[in-house]
Amino acid sequence: MSDNQLSKDTIGGRNLVKPSVYGGVVIILAVLPLFMKSPYWIHVFILTFIYIVVTVSFRAIAISGQFHLAHAAFMGVGAYLAGMASKWFGWPPWLTIPLAALATAGIGMLIGYPFARLRALYFALGSLFFGLTIVNIIIAAKDWTGGWPGLTGIKPLISGASKIHYYYFFLGLTSLCLAALYRFEFSRIGINLKAIAQSYMVASSVGINEAFYRILALGVGCFFAGLAGATYAHYYLLLSWTSFNLAATLWIVMYLIIGGKDHFAGPIIGTAILIMVPEFARELKEYVPFISAAMLLIVIFIMPKGLAGLPQLIKSRFLERREEPRPQVRASSMLSERKPE
Amino acid sequence: MDPELLVGTLSNVLISSAMFTLAALGFAFIFNMMGILNLAHGAIYMIGGYVTYQFAAVFSLNPWAAILISAVVFALFGIFLEKYFFRPFIDNFDFAVVACVAISVILQQAVNIMVGTKIMSIPSLAEGIFRAGLVSVSYERITIFVIGGILTGIVLWFVWKTKMGQQMQAVTQNREAAALQGINVNRVYAIACAIGSGLAAVAGSLMGAFTNLNPFMGDAMLLKVIMLVILAGAGSIGGVVIGGVVLGAMNAVLPVFLSGEVAEVIYVAVIVVLLLFRPQGLFGHEFTMK
Repeated sequence: MSDNQLSKDTIGGRNLVKPSVYGGVVIILAVLPLFMKSPYWIHVFILTFIYIVVTVSFRAIAISGQFHLAHAAFMGVGAYLAGMASKWFGWPPWLTIPLAALATAGIGMLIGYPFARLRALYFALGSLFFGLTIVNIIIAAKDWTGGWPGLTGIKPLISGASKIHYYYFFLGLTSLCLAALYRFEFSRIGINLKAIAQSYMVASSVGINEAFYRILALGVGCFFAGLAGATYAHYYLLLSWTSFNLAATLWIVMYLIIGGKDHFAGPIIGTAILIMVPEFARELKEYVPFISAAMLLIVIFIMPKGLAGLPQLIKSRFLERREEPRPQVRASSMLSERKPE
Repeated sequence: MDPELLVGTLSNVLISSAMFTLAALGFAFIFNMMGILNLAHGAIYMIGGYVTYQFAAVFSLNPWAAILISAVVFALFGIFLEKYFFRPFIDNFDFAVVACVAISVILQQAVNIMVGTKIMSIPSLAEGIFRAGLVSVSYERITIFVIGGILTGIVLWFVWKTKMGQQMQAVTQNREAAALQGINVNRVYAIACAIGSGLAAVAGSLMGAFTNLNPFMGDAMLLKVIMLVILAGAGSIGGVVIGGVVLGAMNAVLPVFLSGEVAEVIYVAVIVVLLLFRPQGLFGHEFTMK
């Protein structure tokens, strides 16, 4: 996050370009089902909406400098809690979804408390293994979670509804979640989180309670991951632990980095591109992973700021003529800790 | 406990320890020196086994020659990876992770397309069973353990005693200071990656001869390898060997008493607790991102 961007986004609330772009996208998506009749594509869009919430909430944790490699597992916590409550206790979806989201946030914060002592790489590794613990518990507790084959028998979110109903439900939910996460990022809390990511020592020295804010970021991120997971459970009606393992988390990281982690729009663009483009090419079947991998390599070698940083990159390369050597666009690592000089 | 089970468990402990150590050494080199979590290591381990299979079973070469060819091929591949995928992202953890995941997806999917999920096994390295009184161990197990032990010993000797190994240790401790002393840091990286990838291919081949090959065997091994490096701690190569023995013992002994799923939960929970209370591992020092 460069300095000028921080100030532009936080203070420049009068800028109408961004809200109109977001609003336009939502309107286009709202009228899209009128022209798109294929239920399969509607399904792809719904999955994209769900994963957009997950990826943006991953970024909400990442802006505090925490590389949360258990994020898909936390989505799984929400999904399995909602699914189990629905299957074993027969609770209705409007009860299981909020409860599952809150419980996921609670678990995230409980774990955040001991993990607040780990930084950078160690936080990443710790959360990686915590995520594995969750997945292994899901596999081991097979009387409750269904174990290897997966959990079935979850009640649908809207009984007797078609895909179109789900489409509008998830469009609305995703828009609401994104609005909330946008407010979160550009609030006072979000600025504190970014300060902690830049230098936890300096942040602590100006009175930011590092552990508190990091746990808060985890709680917020896990809440939305759990929410997405719970709605996913009630939409898909079949849960398998393979959707929440390390590979799933790594794909969330890919969505974020392809899109560009320095922009709020980054994870949205990245998720949409990485889920949709392989679907366009699905006649190629087993060659589809090569397309995804090629996209990843192109982005990291050519566009260090991701797809959301592309306009900025083009502007600095081609449009602005300047005498002095142009500043190099370099990506900063999520884990880089700048030591005080 | 009857002697049959005891000997079986003991030989499992030895074999798992040797395999984990062999596979983890390369990962530990790259992690310690470059700070890169090489998530493609599991894919190299897996595809190393398949290349050996190709030479040994399809071209019907001597299995030992096949393993050697596979090791050399992947050592070269390691140099290629280091030059074009690790070195550009040495200070950038996330992009290195993305590059490694992309490589591992490509390798895994290539194997998946070419051989599918057919069960295949590398021809046996040694025939027969060793018997002494009540106990009996197959010669194959003994061979694999001996090879693993010898290779680990050679690597330790290389790191501790040779000039190149000492340069590697220097780079692990402080990259800039090592460069100031006239060490060619890039060459050290290249050699470390070559050794690491070659060893991973050997481990994959031995494992493929001992059990059988499948395109996803790298994932499980990758997790074991990351656990092992955490257990050992950053910067400690001797710790990798001891960590390998600890993890191998857990891997072989826990399933005797518990069901497999519960044993898996216990492993990873142990690692989480270890990270919380001793992030520097059992033998290493705390790793700082540069």
